[in-house]
Amino acid sequence: MMKLVQWLWGLAILGSTWVALTTGALGLELPLSCQEVLWPLPAYMLVSTGCYALDTVGCHVATFHDCEDATRKLQSQIQEAQADLARSGLRF
Amino acid sequence: MATGTDQVVGLGLVAVSLIIFTYYTAWVILLPFIDSQHVIHKYFLPRAYAVAIPLAAGLLLLLFVGLFITYVMLKSKRVTKKTQ
Repeated sequence: MMKLVQWLWGLAILGSTWVALTTGALGLELPLSCQEVLWPLPAYMLVSTGCYALDTVGCHVATFHDCEDATRKLQSQIQEAQADLARSGLRF
Repeated sequence: MATGTDQVVGLGLVAVSLIIFTYYTAWVILLPFIDSQHVIHKYFLPRAYAVAIPLAAGLLLLLFVGLFITYVMLKSKRVTKKTQ
């Protein structure tokens, strides 16, 4: 709950700053190139968050530790168990 | 370390995300500071698309998620009706 409230506060502060700057409510005369950078900023934040998420997922998929010996051992044990149960009459 | 296809898929995802990030950063942040006569502006769409395209993609994503949830719920309801 606390984390959510903190995130919402942060978003509210950033959002109101952005609105104040884009509508010129503070009376600052920003140069035109700064204004052009400013107005797509929320979309930019969303896209970069998405890219970061994709990046993290990709990194973890690529560096996931496969235990190949354990896999082979487990599979042979499964086959043994299946053969054993089939002999005892259990139908798969 | 992960094997074969896992590594390829993972690195592919990283590469795609880096490409999207650099292109979008250049589009939104760098381009307004570059002289409008420079040749690099040829490679970027008009600025309005910088907001319209992610917005449309986000809405499409929500649409697909909603459709998928609807499909799964209908399928599970049909299964419980058959077992009754």
